[in-house]
Amino acid sequence: MNKNTRILTVDDSASMRALLNHALTSQGFDVAQAEDGEVALEWLALNEVDVVITDINMPRLDGFGLIEKLRQGNRHRDRPILVLTTESSEEKKARARSAGATGWIVKPFDPEKLVAAVRRVAH
Amino acid sequence: MSHHAHPHTPPPITRINILQGQARVSAGPRVEFSTVLGSCVATCLFDPDVQVGGMNHFLLAEPPAGSHNGDFDEHYGVYLMELLINEMLAHGAAKSRMRALLYGGANLNSGFARIGTKNAEFARSFLASERISVVREDLGGMNARRVDFRPAHGQVRCRTVENTLAPDIKPTPRPLQNRGDVELF
Repeated sequence: MNKNTRILTVDDSASMRALLNHALTSQGFDVAQAEDGEVALEWLALNEVDVVITDINMPRLDGFGLIEKLRQGNRHRDRPILVLTTESSEEKKARARSAGATGWIVKPFDPEKLVAAVRRVAH
Repeated sequence: MSHHAHPHTPPPITRINILQGQARVSAGPRVEFSTVLGSCVATCLFDPDVQVGGMNHFLLAEPPAGSHNGDFDEHYGVYLMELLINEMLAHGAAKSRMRALLYGGANLNSGFARIGTKNAEFARSFLASERISVVREDLGGMNARRVDFRPAHGQVRCRTVENTLAPDIKPTPRPLQNRGDVELF
């Protein structure tokens, strides 16, 4: 690999962002972070990324809304998007899937499993 | 409906025990959450505008095997905090209005001294980074506590109890094996 995989994490919890940042940067990924779907959209309009990891419950624009907006545009139509959430309901999972999510991970996350998933979906 | 001519007894209090690893939220005016804490910490959140409250009860996970004896694993604490906050939001609370009360984090005996302190430090720093203000705390010391919380009123009663009443102080074993599983669509 000659360049690092770039990841955007989207989560409204500062503590969760810190855990994710540590888990991912320690494995050599380039990590950018956004605190909700709106901030993520603004960032993604200007920056390139390989994988998006998003929470569901967030103010302003939630994870479902973010996935739908990214799938509607051209730029990120095929971008891998992993959902990382405390939600464990089948209904929410089905909704994420139909919105175009690539995968579903229930918190609390296991750093090794998360990293393995990112490596699998990164193009 | 009678016009309150008859004195009637109020409906009974529904007491719900919050165990380690749980987070519950209610707007029920006659609901009371109760828990007994040793080294564990309970966070009570309350939104006065919508009269909704919730409580969690956690113990940080043991440090991962092989890590130098310092860091307790915060994943479990962050998870239970997030569960509580999300459940509050689902009941109409707003993060900016939430007030927190913290209890527990005792060091019941010197051999386990760090566990209670670590849990208390974690709870304080989590709430600070989420900008949720702590309006009251009763943390640390060497005694177990019993906490009774009326979620719809934000009222708490905290008493010292016999340490033998506190639940097992063993930290959460690390993996919650199926948690964090990845399902690719």
